[in-house]
Amino acid sequence: MENNWNPLGYKNLYRELFKKHLNRQNELLKNNRPVGWFFSFHPSELIYIFDVVSAFPEQYSAYCAARGSSVDLIDTSISSGYGHFLCDYFKTTIGMIEAPEKATPPLMPKPDFIISSRALCVAHHEMAEVFARYYGIPKYTVNYPYWTTDSLKNPDELTKEAEWADELYVEYTVERLRGLVDFMAEVAGEADEEKFREVFRKSEKTSELLIKILNLMMSKPTPGSQREISDLVFIAFFVLGSDYALEFCENAYEVIRERVKKGEGVSEEKHRLLTFGIVPWHSLKIYQYCESMGANFPVNLYVNASVHKADSSNPYMSMVRRSMHFTNSSYEMLDGVVKTARKADIDGALLLENTGCRITSMIIRPLAERLREDLGVQSLILEAPQCDPRVMPMERAKTQIDAFLESLA
Amino acid sequence: MREPFKIFYSIFQEKTKLREYVDSGRRVFGTMCNNVPEEIIHSLGAVPIRMFGNYGNTNLANSKIPSWTCNYARNVMEAGLRGDFDFLEGVVSATTDDTKIHLFSAYRFYIKPRFSYLVQFPYVRDEVSEEFFARELERFAKHLSSHLSVEFNEDRLSASAGVYNTYRELCGEFESLRAEEKPKIRADEFMALMLSSLSMLKEDFVSMADNLPEMLGDHDGFSDYRLRVHLSGTDFYNLTLLRLIEESGMAVVSDDLCTSAGYFTGKVEGDGFRGIAERYSGCTACVMTSSNTELSVEERLRFIRKKIKENNADAIVLLKDRGCEVCGHQCPWIVREIDIPVLVLDLDFPLSVEQYRTRMEAFVEAHGGG
Repeated sequence: MENNWNPLGYKNLYRELFKKHLNRQNELLKNNRPVGWFFSFHPSELIYIFDVVSAFPEQYSAYCAARGSSVDLIDTSISSGYGHFLCDYFKTTIGMIEAPEKATPPLMPKPDFIISSRALCVAHHEMAEVFARYYGIPKYTVNYPYWTTDSLKNPDELTKEAEWADELYVEYTVERLRGLVDFMAEVAGEADEEKFREVFRKSEKTSELLIKILNLMMSKPTPGSQREISDLVFIAFFVLGSDYALEFCENAYEVIRERVKKGEGVSEEKHRLLTFGIVPWHSLKIYQYCESMGANFPVNLYVNASVHKADSSNPYMSMVRRSMHFTNSSYEMLDGVVKTARKADIDGALLLENTGCRITSMIIRPLAERLREDLGVQSLILEAPQCDPRVMPMERAKTQIDAFLESLA
Repeated sequence: MREPFKIFYSIFQEKTKLREYVDSGRRVFGTMCNNVPEEIIHSLGAVPIRMFGNYGNTNLANSKIPSWTCNYARNVMEAGLRGDFDFLEGVVSATTDDTKIHLFSAYRFYIKPRFSYLVQFPYVRDEVSEEFFARELERFAKHLSSHLSVEFNEDRLSASAGVYNTYRELCGEFESLRAEEKPKIRADEFMALMLSSLSMLKEDFVSMADNLPEMLGDHDGFSDYRLRVHLSGTDFYNLTLLRLIEESGMAVVSDDLCTSAGYFTGKVEGDGFRGIAERYSGCTACVMTSSNTELSVEERLRFIRKKIKENNADAIVLLKDRGCEVCGHQCPWIVREIDIPVLVLDLDFPLSVEQYRTRMEAFVEAHGGG
């Protein structure tokens, strides 16, 4: 089975990326730069403009899940009285705070400030409040709208460029983002104008490459594995605007471009599946299992949601655009997703219901319905919390996948 | 439950008033959150009511939304899928939590109401955000007025705010009656009043219930309790559990529920949309909005402390719906920071009545004095 799996080989590129990221963090910590905690869809460019140390509860929790410590941390959170059906990232982070000895090192550095937002979920705002209260630190909140058909027209599923967005919402979000820049200046010192422009230029180039990579993933046969592609969210969410993100994407793009030119796939392709849901970080081999059987994933909507076309000529609008993804839009706005699925010529979908995440879990069934109604494509929905492997034993998941693939054959 | 309260409860259960409104050609709009500014709907001549479902099993809803979401959301979806809300002209929700946002989206997707609007809440109370919120409410009014073909009028908005303020004052009177040393309203009776008021026009409720405080004032009140408790929670409306609480030796003297004090506390003081915006971003217990210098959980704790002090509560019963994200995040802070005993009940439906009874009786034994 392993012979029929030929990944792009991004592993070394990621290793280099993480090394550079950690070196930067350590250097800044040595220089006593302030530490901020951030969430996905935050304008990560500001981290590089203001030279602050960044920590991401979501990324750290994913790391704990991959290293096997998240279960103990989740249990610690529940023992402390927090709800069972909350985001795994929240519960894992609470576990790290309350029982650091159970968490995988290196732990997140203690924050000096926290940025809350609702570009994806109110849960980010709710958890930011809890963390801010634990540490007694200042918090700044950016309100993004939840887009509906009367406030946003035809956003592109990958670039997030839209035909029209309601001015009232754009203006208010921009106001909050300007306030965020002022807040960052207060906690980290004023930033240089030129640096602001430079970071956004890098962000723009990086975002273009990310979009190209995801477009190339839709080639036939599917060139890469989701074991590699799903980690692109780290770049799109957390380090966009950095030198090392740009460097990674330049190399990654070349690799996938060559692969497509040669017409090579990640495996001998029998099925093309769309996937969606936060990645189950404890069981990434689930993707490899499917791909080894010829069921490849040209589209991962979770990764697609993480990218946007950054625009250095209009940085504030660019930051607003980050929120124009289908998971932050009402369910009639799944047209863009259907268009992508059609373009990728999929013949099935593997949808992951992340227990505790209301965003991904509640949109999954409407998504499955649209894929069935518009494209005649069937979906397999697996309950798969992103950090808790107990709910998704691999052997059970494999059996369900086997049966699903058989039904597609 | 005493006779007058039974009549109010039947208005909620049988939807009697709603049928009257619909039969007389009034257009009814369902709300999914206590933070939907109903005054705007009311000012346009329509009837705002709170959407509730009352199903033990939510099998239809479970096939559309996850079965671990809160009881409120699953019941609204179940009722919608069964056609219970077919009489509604439209639905309105708010971005107050993820469940309310995605319940709104799922409802729109599956049930396709003729009109729908999601009120975008700011999570910060500062000048820019208050201004935005006032403009957002104006936007909502424009959309609704266009749908109804009724011209919006500021005077009518002001009149509607007056109606709602009168209603809130009356609820305050009921609240005082249950806070007396010998409470004059039982917990289930109080909830029956609240639920009926959420199922009819406020002016109709006021005219029906206006004489009740005086009538109840003549009553001796109840002294068959050992512990005065404050109820904390969110979209709670189960009368069985309330009866159980009081049967176990507790008297409910205050609450911060979204279906009760979290709904009626706080009047509209200012004019126009700005006045409405200030009330809704500042007065309710559960909303995630706070000032720039404070966290919303701190504001909630202050709300609870105030209610406890005003109403002389000895303990808290915290109703923690297993699927409620607000309870899920805030519950430990209430337990840690409020300096009176707290009984946390993890709520799952259908209720395991005997298990809850045992826990309540033990709580009263431990904290109920002689």
